[in-house]
Amino acid sequence: MHTTDDTPVIDVEGLDLVYGEFHAVKDLTFHVRRGEFYALLGTNGAGKTSTLEVIEGHRRPASGTVRVFGHSPWDRNTVRPRMGIMLQESGFSPDLTVAESVRIIGTLTRRDDDVDRVVDLVGLTRKARTKVSQLSGGEKRRLDFATAVYGTPELIVLDEPTTGLDIQSRDELWDAVDRLRESGTTVVLTTHYLEEAQQRADRIGLMHQGVFHREGTVAELTGALPGVITFGLPAPPSAGVPALPLHVERQADGTFRVETHRVQKDLHTLLGWAEDHGVDLIGLEAGPTRLDDVFRAIN
Amino acid sequence: MLAIAYGELVQLFRNRLVLLTSFIMPIAVSAFFVHRHEVFADAGSLGYIAAIVVFTVGAFGLYTSAVTTLASRRQNLFLKRLRSTAIGDSGILGGLLLPVTVLATVQVTGILIVFGVVAGAPADPVLLAVAVVATIAMLVGFALATAGVTNSPEHAQVTTLPIALGMIAVASWIGLTGAEDLQLVKRLVPGGAATELVLNAWDGGVALSESLILLAPTFAWVFVAANLAAKFFRWEPRR
Repeated sequence: MHTTDDTPVIDVEGLDLVYGEFHAVKDLTFHVRRGEFYALLGTNGAGKTSTLEVIEGHRRPASGTVRVFGHSPWDRNTVRPRMGIMLQESGFSPDLTVAESVRIIGTLTRRDDDVDRVVDLVGLTRKARTKVSQLSGGEKRRLDFATAVYGTPELIVLDEPTTGLDIQSRDELWDAVDRLRESGTTVVLTTHYLEEAQQRADRIGLMHQGVFHREGTVAELTGALPGVITFGLPAPPSAGVPALPLHVERQADGTFRVETHRVQKDLHTLLGWAEDHGVDLIGLEAGPTRLDDVFRAIN
Repeated sequence: MLAIAYGELVQLFRNRLVLLTSFIMPIAVSAFFVHRHEVFADAGSLGYIAAIVVFTVGAFGLYTSAVTTLASRRQNLFLKRLRSTAIGDSGILGGLLLPVTVLATVQVTGILIVFGVVAGAPADPVLLAVAVVATIAMLVGFALATAGVTNSPEHAQVTTLPIALGMIAVASWIGLTGAEDLQLVKRLVPGGAATELVLNAWDGGVALSESLILLAPTFAWVFVAANLAAKFFRWEPRR
């Protein structure tokens, strides 16, 4: 059971980030509430990681204010014991073992936990005594996650956490995140796997070229765009496609695509037509707009 | 800070190449000077050998090791990870540099004690201790500054050479030619006043007030090194 309340955990107001001549983030404002799962999505170079790095205290903005738990993110002593960070890229000491790395980084978070529990949580128990230099990329990513969730922080920032992970490891990671949420942890995520955000995020901030393109729940973001029905017909088609309220597009692969705000009604019409004419619809799919479509609509 | 220091110490003893180049080699060089101290004392003085020990261990055991460690930890983004925790910047640097600094100090102290037993005790051990501490502080500052312009551990093999060799050259120059000729220049070059302090502390024969004047340029270089460190040190690789 995930609960959210209006207590602000992250407050970003009018954030501007500039790298030399490049204006990476422009006047960005958003807030994350306690217990919320907030996904920051966007195109490559949209400014997601730069924004997170300000929240994490790794970057100084050109202007604007950022508060984490009401404090400056650069006040590490106050903020970091309450905050776990999984960076998009970061390293370990190659000659230390998995267990040693978790123990050392965990100690530095000033949170209490059991090293064996955390190592087990990310499925690295068998590698606990293995040197970091001998881990695969996916195993290092899991170790990364272990240090971020050590001590069950109140806030966890995950910057592309599942990149490089196999399916099983991804599932395990999300199971662990779900358990954290049950204990009230607030989650901020960036990812290129949109289905991960679509399944879990309470709200999504969609960034493009340093600004918010849109912000809202998945339903709010996808609701404005039509649903989609796709199907194929046996060749050659024995009859024309019934007149639907929206244009039926014939796609390059020969299938048909219908974009409609009345998916159920139009699907009923299509199925009725197929029944009446004895046509088997091939590969019939119907559904609401996915986040992918919202994403594509940015450009 | 101690958690980071513990991790660094464990790695130091697991990485035999670092152990060899940073610790065994300076000890071997120092042992050679101590063993042949009569020959080198004829060329300079016993104080010259003490200065060579301090600067050889300082340059390779401390300075070069510190630059290599910092460059390596920055290159693989371990510094960024540490900055994602609750510990402050000074705690991070302290933890990373504590093992090499303590080991270098122990090495210098141990070698100088052996040297004192073999060749006779220094004239002023307290002054010698001050000179060693000032030299170590200066080299730590130079290490932080050099790490700022060093992209990788491999790059450190090049970037550390000017200061490492320069320090030993200065110690040799002053130790072999004495501090009187070109006195001002010798006192102003980095490590020059510290070398003269070591010479005076070991050989004696110089009034304490005269030696204390040398603390001014020595600590001035500590100040310069600290400022260079603040200016040049970087926490993340250049993008």
